[in-house]
Amino acid sequence: MKNFMNLFRKEVKELLSKQLIVSLLLMMGMFYFIGQMTKKEAARAAAAQKISVFDRDKSDLSGRLLAGLQAMNFKIEAVTAATTEAAVNAVRETDTSLLIVIPQGFGDSMTRLEAQPVETYSFLRNFSVMGARTSAIVRAVLEAINKVLSDETLKARIPEISPDRLKNPIKSKDFVIIKSRIAEGSASAVAGFVTSQTVMIPVILMMIILYSSQMVISAIAMEKQNKTLETLLTVPISRTSIVSAKMLASGLVGLLSAVIYMIGFRSYMSGFTGDMAQMPGVSQVVQKLGLTLNANALIILGASLFFAILCALAMATILGVLAEDFRSAQSLIMPMLILIMIPYFVSMFADVKTMSFPIKLFILANPFSHPFLAMQNIFLENYRAVALGVLYMAVFFGIMVYIAGRIFSTDKVLTMKLRWGKKKVVL
Amino acid sequence: MGMILNVDGLKKSYGAVEAVKGISFQVGQGEIFALIGPNGAGKTTTLRIVATLLTITQGTISLLGHDLRKNPEKFRENISYLPEEAGAYRNFKGRDYLKFMANFYAGTPDAAAAYVKRAEEIAGLGDRLASKVGTYSKGMVRKLLLARALMTRPALAILDEPTSGLDVINSLEVREIIKRYAREGISVLLSSHNMLEIEFLSDRVALIDKGLILDSGTPQELKSKYQAPNLENVFRSALR
Repeated sequence: MKNFMNLFRKEVKELLSKQLIVSLLLMMGMFYFIGQMTKKEAARAAAAQKISVFDRDKSDLSGRLLAGLQAMNFKIEAVTAATTEAAVNAVRETDTSLLIVIPQGFGDSMTRLEAQPVETYSFLRNFSVMGARTSAIVRAVLEAINKVLSDETLKARIPEISPDRLKNPIKSKDFVIIKSRIAEGSASAVAGFVTSQTVMIPVILMMIILYSSQMVISAIAMEKQNKTLETLLTVPISRTSIVSAKMLASGLVGLLSAVIYMIGFRSYMSGFTGDMAQMPGVSQVVQKLGLTLNANALIILGASLFFAILCALAMATILGVLAEDFRSAQSLIMPMLILIMIPYFVSMFADVKTMSFPIKLFILANPFSHPFLAMQNIFLENYRAVALGVLYMAVFFGIMVYIAGRIFSTDKVLTMKLRWGKKKVVL
Repeated sequence: MGMILNVDGLKKSYGAVEAVKGISFQVGQGEIFALIGPNGAGKTTTLRIVATLLTITQGTISLLGHDLRKNPEKFRENISYLPEEAGAYRNFKGRDYLKFMANFYAGTPDAAAAYVKRAEEIAGLGDRLASKVGTYSKGMVRKLLLARALMTRPALAILDEPTSGLDVINSLEVREIIKRYAREGISVLLSSHNMLEIEFLSDRVALIDKGLILDSGTPQELKSKYQAPNLENVFRSALR
């Protein structure tokens, strides 16, 4: 144990280099900065939208239309100009991104129920995601205009019935069922809420597994590159302890790196998604449907993640032996990356249950699929599938550790090298 | 002189390639025993097997009565190995590297401190031990590694080309250190291309070629037997 701890401390010290700490902090700072910037932009986009209106009609109806738009959270800036061209030029100098031109005779036409086009001028000043919101504003304004005008017309012609009842004669009462639980709410809202709450989990999972694997491959490759592995293998410490000290240290540093990375990433993502806890109504429905991760669920998910990390570390140990130096270690992460990316995308875009048997088998044979699927299975109370996944990963880990142990106990730790088409023998 | 290392009928194959074809030798306590031979003769393979890095294909090796195959960990407690192309952890300070290595052998912190103190004397790097290994010259690294190999006073020090990459002055110092520690009771198994070095250091020499020991004896015995002025000529005559 003393020798194990001695080696473990050395591994952590080597992995937790100043360069790693500085790069992680820089990355976190960068994510935070971009997140804050995006948040500000999003807040600006969510606030009352300022639109310029050149009202050439000046009728009662156009007046009521503008009042209606104001009531629908649009900030109206009236433009005074002689011509439409002059109005466009005037708005061009401001920061408003939309000009609505209400034509002359608009009120009269509408009274006769004759369609007369309203002109819209969108000022595209940048092409960022937030900048492209102008088209959404145009749509929202036109919808609002149509609503105001149709409501006005319906109220005038059929005053005894509310316009809303006329336009939507059927109302629905939506229920969502998950297993034995039922709650009133919209399926799309519930699915959207759950997705928004759990979207980070596969990302976190992928980052932790990748970071840990990268660490352990690099740790072994660095020993080879610095010509320290041979000396280490001759000191009085069991080969199992060498393998496990490297795996444990890499797992811990990988976890730490992933956590720091994810804090930054979450702050970045919150700029886009906002605070999910503020979604009204939906959270109660989600609670009622049992779609929240309680302590037990988190423990099960944690166990699944833990075994996935162990599998990754054991596989990475074997891959690390194949590396000749640090540079070749970088390319050896590729097989791990592919194995992790497949379930990552499958969990996001497809349902394993509906896949054909060979594909399903291929997905389930990949140990990294199980933590990705565990989340959905926990929500669906399919604990047996989660348990079987954990069991499979435990067996897989055992086999990998056995192989890694065999490699470290034989010449292979020194003679195994990945040389495409060549076989190297050390004399 | 009691023999502490016994190598008997050692064979090593890599697939179809037979690198060592059945060699036997012994090393006595406090003796410096050298393997000399050309590249690919099987010197490094033999040293790596004795250092527990490579597995034995056939034959037996025992050190102080411990069989290498049956008890490699006990074997490792009594050896130290200096590979030809060895390095130290570049991000470690010289002294921290020595402490890290000493902790594997020492039972107590005091024993570890004593090992480090001895290593500091052997290395002779002074204040530079407070610098990171990454800033050392090749010669400084070699001295640090030699100090690491000898600081625990192992029963057997396995030194592969101990003066590799060192200049003349540093080589002389290193040879003196090895001689001194052998006189104090450490046995040394070494290999070198440098026949002059071998002649200066070794008590006994084995001439090895193509995985076989051609001859062995003290440098004086071999020179007399082959009527050669030095070991280089001895080796050339033995090859014929």
